[in-house]
Amino acid sequence: MSVWNPENVTDVAESIGIASLNRDVVEHLARDVEYRMSQVLNEALKFMRHGKRTTLTTQDVSQALRLLDVEPLYGYESTRPLRFGEASIGPGQPLFYVEDEEVDFEKLINAPLPKVPREMSYTAHWLAVEGVQPSIPQNPLTDPRSAELAAKGSSANSTLAAVSGNDNIAVKPLVKHILSKELQLYFERICGAILDESNEEYRSAAFASLRTDTGLHQLIPYFIQFVADKVTHNLKNIFVLTQTMQLLAALLDNQSLFLAPYVPGNVPSILTCLIGKHLGNPALDGATTHFALRDYSASLLSKTACQYGPSSSTLKPRIARSCLKHFLDSHKPFGTHYGAVLGLAMIAGAQGVRTLILPNLKAYDLHLQEGMKDDGGKREQAEYVKQAILRALQTLQEDAVMEMSSNGHPAGEALRERLGAVGEVVGARVFESGREGLIGAVLERDPVV
Amino acid sequence: MAVQPAPPSRTESVGPASAGGMGTPTAGTPVGQAPGAGSNQNLNQIVLEYLSKKGYSRTEAMLRRESGSIAFDATGQPVTFDDKFKGRRWHEAYSVVKTWVDSILDIYKPELSRILWPLFVHCFIETIADCYPGEGRFFFTECRKPFDDEHSDDLRALSNVQEPEHVQQNDIAQLYRTNKYRLTLSKMGFATLIEFLETKEGEGGKSINFLINNHLDIRTVDRAAIGGVRGLQKLMEEKQGDEQAPAEDEGIHGHHPGSANLNPDATGALHRLQLAPMPMEIDLMDDVKAELNHEDSSNPPRPGRSTLVEQFEQRIKVEPSDDTAPSRDSIPFPPSTARDVAMEVQKVKENRDRFRIEGKTGGVGPGVSVTMITFHNTFDSVNCVEFSNDNILAAVGTAESYIRVWSLDNHALASPQDPPGFQPSSSRRLVGHSGPVYALSFSPSAAVPAPPTNGHTDHQSSSDSHPRYMLSCSADTTIRLWSLDTWTNLVVYRSHNSPVWDVRFCPHGHYFASSSADRTARLWSTPQIAPLRIFAGHDSDVETVAWHPNGAYIFTGAGVGDKTVRMWSIAQGTQARIFTGHAGNVTAIACAPNGHVVASADDKGVIILWDLRTGRLVKRMRGHGPGGIWSLGWSVESTVLVSGGADCSVRVWDVQPSKDTQAKVNGENGAAAKVDGPAVNGGAAASKVGKVKGREQSTADMISDFKTKKSPVYTARFTNMNLVVAGGAYLP
Repeated sequence: MSVWNPENVTDVAESIGIASLNRDVVEHLARDVEYRMSQVLNEALKFMRHGKRTTLTTQDVSQALRLLDVEPLYGYESTRPLRFGEASIGPGQPLFYVEDEEVDFEKLINAPLPKVPREMSYTAHWLAVEGVQPSIPQNPLTDPRSAELAAKGSSANSTLAAVSGNDNIAVKPLVKHILSKELQLYFERICGAILDESNEEYRSAAFASLRTDTGLHQLIPYFIQFVADKVTHNLKNIFVLTQTMQLLAALLDNQSLFLAPYVPGNVPSILTCLIGKHLGNPALDGATTHFALRDYSASLLSKTACQYGPSSSTLKPRIARSCLKHFLDSHKPFGTHYGAVLGLAMIAGAQGVRTLILPNLKAYDLHLQEGMKDDGGKREQAEYVKQAILRALQTLQEDAVMEMSSNGHPAGEALRERLGAVGEVVGARVFESGREGLIGAVLERDPVV
Repeated sequence: MAVQPAPPSRTESVGPASAGGMGTPTAGTPVGQAPGAGSNQNLNQIVLEYLSKKGYSRTEAMLRRESGSIAFDATGQPVTFDDKFKGRRWHEAYSVVKTWVDSILDIYKPELSRILWPLFVHCFIETIADCYPGEGRFFFTECRKPFDDEHSDDLRALSNVQEPEHVQQNDIAQLYRTNKYRLTLSKMGFATLIEFLETKEGEGGKSINFLINNHLDIRTVDRAAIGGVRGLQKLMEEKQGDEQAPAEDEGIHGHHPGSANLNPDATGALHRLQLAPMPMEIDLMDDVKAELNHEDSSNPPRPGRSTLVEQFEQRIKVEPSDDTAPSRDSIPFPPSTARDVAMEVQKVKENRDRFRIEGKTGGVGPGVSVTMITFHNTFDSVNCVEFSNDNILAAVGTAESYIRVWSLDNHALASPQDPPGFQPSSSRRLVGHSGPVYALSFSPSAAVPAPPTNGHTDHQSSSDSHPRYMLSCSADTTIRLWSLDTWTNLVVYRSHNSPVWDVRFCPHGHYFASSSADRTARLWSTPQIAPLRIFAGHDSDVETVAWHPNGAYIFTGAGVGDKTVRMWSIAQGTQARIFTGHAGNVTAIACAPNGHVVASADDKGVIILWDLRTGRLVKRMRGHGPGGIWSLGWSVESTVLVSGGADCSVRVWDVQPSKDTQAKVNGENGAAAKVDGPAVNGGAAASKVGKVKGREQSTADMISDFKTKKSPVYTARFTNMNLVVAGGAYLP
């Protein structure tokens, strides 16, 4: 009758020395035990509720026992779920008990300490902005299915059709962007003009328009997209790349445009033109034309970074990081290294050259020497890189803060040797230049440090 | 043992006693008389005489009691039943009424179906008290279905009552036995009920009549006369919406709607409330004005903006209304300090520069911005989250008995007691409690103003307005006061003798209120270690406590069995209002800044708005899933309510009382609700359908619903600038 098995009561009675209990008493006690247990559970649920949890813990039960003025059960304080073992004492009479692990002291003492649990921390995000929930990773995805369910009243049929998959539903963009006919036409014309190789006049007119026209706001995302498209698909075409870079430069020049939100979309295209592996077609354009493009991209990048760096704290570090990565990767062609050095020098300035390029020069020297020895086109390219590095080092000289050390530098071979710290090739060049300032700037960061 | 007919006096035969309490005529013929009844009675007589002669008084009393449980008809003959019927007597009686109510005319159904719950409880208790555990349990499982939704907690508490002594000890059973369940029926409805019970006299009508007379307090009203809530039209509407909620005057408290006067004979006169804001001290007001003047001259407002002084005057202007303000004499506060001036100035500033939220205009709700602060790696050990009023500090109370405080602007939390060379981090751990911490409350504070442009003396006063104290309460029955300057425990308040569930600082500081599992709420002042007032009256745990914005009243909400929200006057220490209508534990209460409306929420997902002046229900708002609405917050203008709870959502509600929106449900869900209606009545699928319905149906006054990512929302409130700040713990 009761859920609690009366046999248990008999067992307990026997264990404390009461041999025979009346059947009625046993049943009565069993019912009472059941009621008391539900009482404890009801109290424990209260503690669970106030702990704002949905699982009942052993602590809740001991709190409930304390509240009912009963001594709590000790030894069950456990943050892990308890594991119950099952033993059978007869047919259909399972007995449950808490399984105790056997612990080997030797092992326990010698075992490494358990990992410290992770520290509690908090993050803040916008759950809603002016009544609209932004779709950021911190917010749950709005399940399109639930939206459909909500709208079943009016469009039940189309939904059903879509679910069964025999209806081609056009996916509508969330925000409808309306462009006037004139703007669409303008966009097409500009794009056409820019890529027109034959008509120089036409091109410059287009750029002039982009530089000065107001009211191009709505077209910015389209231009950015256009540039990204062209860059990814025309890596072999120096002309197209150059034109797109000029397009970006023109937009950047335009005083009436606010590009800050689009900078993250812009930078990858420029970086591609700066440190791309193979730009242009060497057979067609000559092996060194791409250096001009890299120069141009570098200046464009530095301009972007200067203009929008303050509004985005991570912009400059990100660019510098990718440049450095490419500079240190010796498997990349010299073109990439050239771009990376340029980029670093421009983005990070003298400080960056000192901390990022100078320490790595010695290691890079090997690679550079190899390139110099090569008789093919590589030599020429390596030369470019050397020039770039020297130019970067020159920024150091301009930035030089130190006063001329009173005892000067050792002359002759000794100096040459010390300059070897920046690599033989470059060191030689620096030595040859014989410029006190440059030498001083390079040596300021003593390689011993 | 009030249920049992009084034992007959010794000299009489075991005679008619039970009919004494009945107010209705009980004429009728004896029915179901067993052949051996007469001899049986004689036997009893003989045995009783024998026992009394021998002096076995206890045995004799027991026999009298047991023989007394046999019903008697009007002629004095005991109506005996065969053994099988004995235990099922209450069950049969209940079934008769239940069948009748189910098949009655539709216009009576809503009101008469309300009578089933108290009858069910009493039939069950009676069966158990008569020592029929098996039959009692059978009856319980058989008939509990229709009440699963509304009374689940009571059912759980009753479900294991199996012995007469359990009846004596069970809170719910005692509550029902010692109090009369008040119910309002229309005159016609009540007449039909009585008529029916008379015709069914022999089949249990008498038993039911006995219950009604002893344990129920049925008020009859003329339906046509009162209209409104009990009007015919209203009843029909409710039937469609399948509204299953207790009326305001229903329940074991037996009070007039809203009124706290429990005397059944008292008129429904309401205690007069002082709802206007607390007047400011004259000195303080002058200081604040001077400060604001100075502020205005150093930072002139932008064109189109009012000056701070204008804003202040507008704020303290006494509007011609019938509200009286509580006097400062009745609730003494310590004299104001420079810190109070700084806080008042900042409040005025924030009030002027706030984001304005007007009510719902043209069916479009205002756009509310919500900042969510999510706590990670909590392992479900966080019990409560609290933000200081200046939004600089966040505190978390954990199940591991400690409190953790963070500075939200990553400021180091230094203490003068730090050892030299100690690097304070932006988080502190407060250790002192010896049980789970269930609530925290910061002392009032105002956001630190931007540093003054002209570098004037303002600095000292501005840094003063940060919160200086925090209260915490715990399962170890103590409340502790912490200093936020030294990060140490200052005072331990011991007086509660059960876990303390909630603690709240008075909006003006100095005082605080706490509520506990010992069924009381208590008022304290920070300098004294003994409570100033003990508010006793709730019939179960006081789960939550909230302040009226003028600091003259507190609100308490109770859990299982009671489920009322009560309003207490600080000055008098008495109940000012009782609000009945929740079907679940009250989990959160918040009073509107204008002081006229209070919102309370329960763990069934219902929010109810109450008008303080009339003491009546304004409207019910549904939409939250079950599991508890843990926090409510009002916008500065008192036009919008925000709520957060266990169903991982922050919802925004329109509080305008409008009759149309109340009856209607959201378009797409309306159909579903109607379809569900009959199914619920059908009984079989009741619980399942009810759950689905509870999730989907939301009343039309919900403006928006922002779901979080697996993070139950522990707190959600408006800042003084009308930004919503919500806090929760991520539980993957």
